Amino acid sequence: MKEIFRNMWRRKMRSILTIFGIAIGIFAFTVMGSLALKINKMISGGKRFITGQITVMPKGTVASAFGEGGGSAFLAVDTLNKIAQVDGVEAVAGGISLSLKEVDLNDPSSQSMSFGPPPTIQAMDLDSTFQNRNWATMDMESGHMITKEDGDNAITVGYTIAGDNNLKVDDTFNVRGTDFKVVGITAQTLTGPDQYVFMPMKPARQLLVDSVPFLKSLVERSTEALNITDTELAKLPEATRTQIAEAKGFKLEDINQMAAVSWKDGQDADTVATRIKDQFKDEAVVLSPKALGEMIDKASAIFNTMILGSALIALIVGGFSIINTMIMSISERKKEIGIKKALGASRKAIASEYTLEAGVIGFIGGLIGMGLGALLATILNKNTSAEIFLLSPGFLGGVVAFSFVLGIIAGIIPAVKASRMPAVDAIREL
Amino acid sequence: MNKTIIKATQLKKTYDLTKTNKVQALRGMDMEVHEGDFTAIVGPSGCGKSTLLHMLGLLDTPDEGTLVIDGIDTSKMKEYEAHQIRAKKIGFVFQGFNLIPALTALENVMLAGKYGGLNYADRKKRAMELLTTMGLGDRVDHRPNELSGGQQQRVALARALMNNPSIILADEPTGELDSNTSLEIINTLKKLNQEKNQTFVIVTHNNEVANACKKILHVKDGRNA
Repeated sequence: MKEIFRNMWRRKMRSILTIFGIAIGIFAFTVMGSLALKINKMISGGKRFITGQITVMPKGTVASAFGEGGGSAFLAVDTLNKIAQVDGVEAVAGGISLSLKEVDLNDPSSQSMSFGPPPTIQAMDLDSTFQNRNWATMDMESGHMITKEDGDNAITVGYTIAGDNNLKVDDTFNVRGTDFKVVGITAQTLTGPDQYVFMPMKPARQLLVDSVPFLKSLVERSTEALNITDTELAKLPEATRTQIAEAKGFKLEDINQMAAVSWKDGQDADTVATRIKDQFKDEAVVLSPKALGEMIDKASAIFNTMILGSALIALIVGGFSIINTMIMSISERKKEIGIKKALGASRKAIASEYTLEAGVIGFIGGLIGMGLGALLATILNKNTSAEIFLLSPGFLGGVVAFSFVLGIIAGIIPAVKASRMPAVDAIREL
Repeated sequence: MNKTIIKATQLKKTYDLTKTNKVQALRGMDMEVHEGDFTAIVGPSGCGKSTLLHMLGLLDTPDEGTLVIDGIDTSKMKEYEAHQIRAKKIGFVFQGFNLIPALTALENVMLAGKYGGLNYADRKKRAMELLTTMGLGDRVDHRPNELSGGQQQRVALARALMNNPSIILADEPTGELDSNTSLEIINTLKKLNQEKNQTFVIVTHNNEVANACKKILHVKDGRNA
């Protein structure tokens, strides 16, 4: 072992450059890997949640499974009530989600444009008995999850939101110009809910209406229309009367970007989802837990490919630089190999000495790369509100082990070559 | 007469340097060495004496002829068998000392013990003993470049003796040493030969060294001369 370090020290520059090459590969691997781990964790958390319910979205929506609703299409409250009557359905809850701060594309610090989950308002339908099958309650850091009794200005905030805004229970938190009272803070999940503000449907609908001019005017017209008496209405032209009747028909409760449906015990979720789908194919898109699960699996497959891709780059770059260094090192030490053979070293002994040397180079490079990667990820985690890297000790240890194995594998070819070198060729160069 | 420890019969070896340039290093060499012999191989440079020594040390294989070492026919031996004979029966001393620069004197000597199958404690103990016998007890932690030529050759000699081999092959052991130091080394070799009855085969073109040897084998153009 001592000999290995001394040999590396003899060719300091080359050893340093080789180690540096591996360190870069492993650095990229560590950073990409911990990012992908984080995303995978969020995805699997999301999957657990999303497969615990049937998700119904209005037709024409462009919303993703987790993100904000498209805003252009809604599920009317009548539709939700009708869905509740479908055989096998236990409860239906409407839902709205919108970003905590208004999106300002001119402001580069805008959270909505950052990588990772943006802070989000999640509206909860507190009138409904709906409960997600996999995620009935959230663990609390302090206080409690909002209930109907807390009233319309109560909110529960996620762990990260509370930390970033220095919030405690009973504090007041201003959301998009409206003051809310914090009644609880959820425990850290390291996933989406850390960035959530849970609020009742009514204020959330109001915030959504205020942020979308089209909705605002629709609601204003609806209110105006309600104020028009029947006698006044009768005087107006027929086209106008139809418009006003439509405007009257619009209620604030109709603003539901999505709905979550739970099924009764003993019912098959996918069968219930199909029933809803058949009945409401003109109004809604129904995503069964199975369909959504598959969608999510596809997404995580992409991120896993990212990990594999970065590992592959590390493998190729690091591996070749080790092979190169070892080949040079061995041709320089041809004489040494000859001496060792003359002393009675077996091929196996020679091959394992040089393989181990390559392994040590890989190990040191891996250790440095992992260290730098973990350092960068920690700094980025601290300096951005969203923790976008997950540094698990198992992964970090695995990265270094991987680098060691990479060194061994890259060292095998030159080492075997060295061991097969005829002793006399090496000796005759003396 | 002591028993025959090396018997070489009609050894031939041709090296293909390029497709057209072939060198016939050995053209039918005979040699017999008995246990306890102190033999010199002499001849002009390029006569094939080093090639012969490499063959005796199983570092090279003959194209034709037979080589029997300690009763074992080694001429067609495979590498995985040859290394054990090299480790246990043969000790090598080279002209350029050929110590491994990254290792200290002690570690250089211990290395031979490792290939000879000694455990760490045993090889450390034996290496210390050998270096002390060679008068290098206070230089064990020095690297080769911190030692004089004579000291380096004594480390190399200690290394060759590590596995207590029956045959010691030396290729120009005094080639890079001044005459006083050369004499010292030769005397050490002779002492070992007398005390332990170890067999020595020494390649040299130094007449003083050759004259110190009991037997002299002359080589010319790859043949016995």
